[in-house]
Amino acid sequence: MPDGGAGVDVIVGLTSHNDVGTVGAVVRALQDGLARYAASSAVRFVLADAGSTDGTREAVREAVGPSALVEVESGRGAELGEPPYHGQHGREAALRAIIETTHRLGARACTVIDARLQSVEPEWIDRLLVPVLADGFDYVSPYYARPVAEGAITKGIVYPMFRALYGVRLRQPAAGEFGCSGRLAAHYLEQDFWDAEFAPVGIDLWLAVAAACGEFRSCEAVLGTRGAVSRGAPTDLSTTLKQVVGSLFADLERRVDVWQRVRGSRAIPIRGAVGGMDPQAPTGNVDGLMESFRLGYRELREIWTWVLPPRSIVELRTLTETAAERFRFDDRLWAGIVYDFAVGYSLRVMPRDHLLRSLTPLYSGWLASFVLQMEGASLQGIEERVERVCLAFESEKRHLISRWRWPERLR
Amino acid sequence: MWAEIDQILRQATRQIADHVASFLPGVLVALVLILATVVAAALVRALLGRALRGLEFDRHADHLGLAVLLGWPSSTTSPSQTLTRVVYWTVVVLGLLLSLTALNATIPSRFALSVFQYLPNLLAALMILVVGAIAARFLSRSVLIGAVNMQIRSARLLSLAVRWLVLLIAVAMALDHLSIGRNVLLLAFGILFGGIVLAAALAVGLGARDAVSRALERQLQEPPRGDDEVNHV
Repeated sequence: MPDGGAGVDVIVGLTSHNDVGTVGAVVRALQDGLARYAASSAVRFVLADAGSTDGTREAVREAVGPSALVEVESGRGAELGEPPYHGQHGREAALRAIIETTHRLGARACTVIDARLQSVEPEWIDRLLVPVLADGFDYVSPYYARPVAEGAITKGIVYPMFRALYGVRLRQPAAGEFGCSGRLAAHYLEQDFWDAEFAPVGIDLWLAVAAACGEFRSCEAVLGTRGAVSRGAPTDLSTTLKQVVGSLFADLERRVDVWQRVRGSRAIPIRGAVGGMDPQAPTGNVDGLMESFRLGYRELREIWTWVLPPRSIVELRTLTETAAERFRFDDRLWAGIVYDFAVGYSLRVMPRDHLLRSLTPLYSGWLASFVLQMEGASLQGIEERVERVCLAFESEKRHLISRWRWPERLR
Repeated sequence: MWAEIDQILRQATRQIADHVASFLPGVLVALVLILATVVAAALVRALLGRALRGLEFDRHADHLGLAVLLGWPSSTTSPSQTLTRVVYWTVVVLGLLLSLTALNATIPSRFALSVFQYLPNLLAALMILVVGAIAARFLSRSVLIGAVNMQIRSARLLSLAVRWLVLLIAVAMALDHLSIGRNVLLLAFGILFGGIVLAAALAVGLGARDAVSRALERQLQEPPRGDDEVNHV
């Protein structure tokens, strides 16, 4: 039950770990935004710090003041084992603590921001919180202007699959920043995914899925370009892909009854004007990506045959023989491959780690094709191309349902 | 005199008859045991075959890497067929050995007893082989996928090396467990592994020293490659 006596309207959740260099600027930007766009609301900052040793907590106390700050226990710092792709150990515990505090204080709205994110602007409050406070939305997902190769897993797998499965066009469902209503926060706390296997890396995506699957109003908020957030050494592509796609596939198993009923997808309102993107952004090493795909076909083809039908293997072989200038990964082929891997994941046709990592060369091939097609394209052009990928995923969804229901056809 | 001969003959006949009479039940029991064994073996083969088909054993064995191990001696034999045959003949042989003990013959009984005492070792060795085959498959696939994702061109070679290394260790452990050629095995493996390590050390130390030092320098000094700068999520 919410503890409404506190009289709090808004919760601003900060996740941090050794971010003393950036947290001051982030808090100031947010305070500025709150003063401008939510001046009449009673606000509490909630700091979910994962055991900082550099004075991050003290810096936040100093910037926010003791009366407006709630500090919560949130996970641990660095742990043994595979680091999460976002670099935040115990992120699921941090988000849970913030959402629990939102519910406990009976706040109407909550937003979560990474304390290392240097691109935070005061306008983010307007974009992430005002739709909840003033317009009755329950979930606000960020929309970043991202260059061609930036966020390619999201563009090529997460967004198209999320949209086809749950019918909501949220372009960055796995983003770390979001806004949500008190009602949705209560719904989040009822979910059973908090302690699930992929929770540390998949929690952001699962929160978006929970919002999309419930009776909640969602919208997107334009937040400009997202600055780089690096904590420790970045994970390699294979590990990142395994973590992100694994969390997507894991959720697929949990919500079979929902996604098998969804047909098509619906657009959602977007708050703010979409600006430009960084024209100097790196596009990755396309030759290296194509080489990775060809090497993968040569060496991992046998493994792929466990999940992919012969038709897909033949199409992939044709692609390996195609010259770089005509190298094009068909959208339907790509959608079919991702869906077949999802079914293979569910059936455990091989250790899941192997299955997910063996997707890397295929993703490299798709990314190479995507970058080649989008060379010099505007943000609008990229959006249109991603839209075609999404339509292929929506169109191929019937095959996913069919294979999911009659998996023996996969063999 | 004739009376004495007759008495001796009667005595000998009685003794033979006694021996036959005392031996015959054993033979009968042995025959019954053999018959029961054959019936039991056939029953076990039928039930096991059906159970393995129901469990899709061939597909799982293929995925676990047991197909190579169980597919022997011919590629046309499925793993489930091999397993049912092995189980069938094991039951038959054990039944025959059991029936030998019923004859009260000293040497066959001792042989049967020693085989029965050896059986746990055989089973343990078999288990080591099975676990070794599964581990070899898992590790070789891990190496193959990891090496391909690191764009190492000799990924297949590395994977095969790991697979055979694990299989060889498993075979050596199984033979060691059966006390077969223990000293030879120990010596052979010592020479083999020592030789591999020495060869690798010499190859790196003499042939590729400069290349290794350049690679290490690059690793320590250079910024990440272009494709690593991209945030994929």
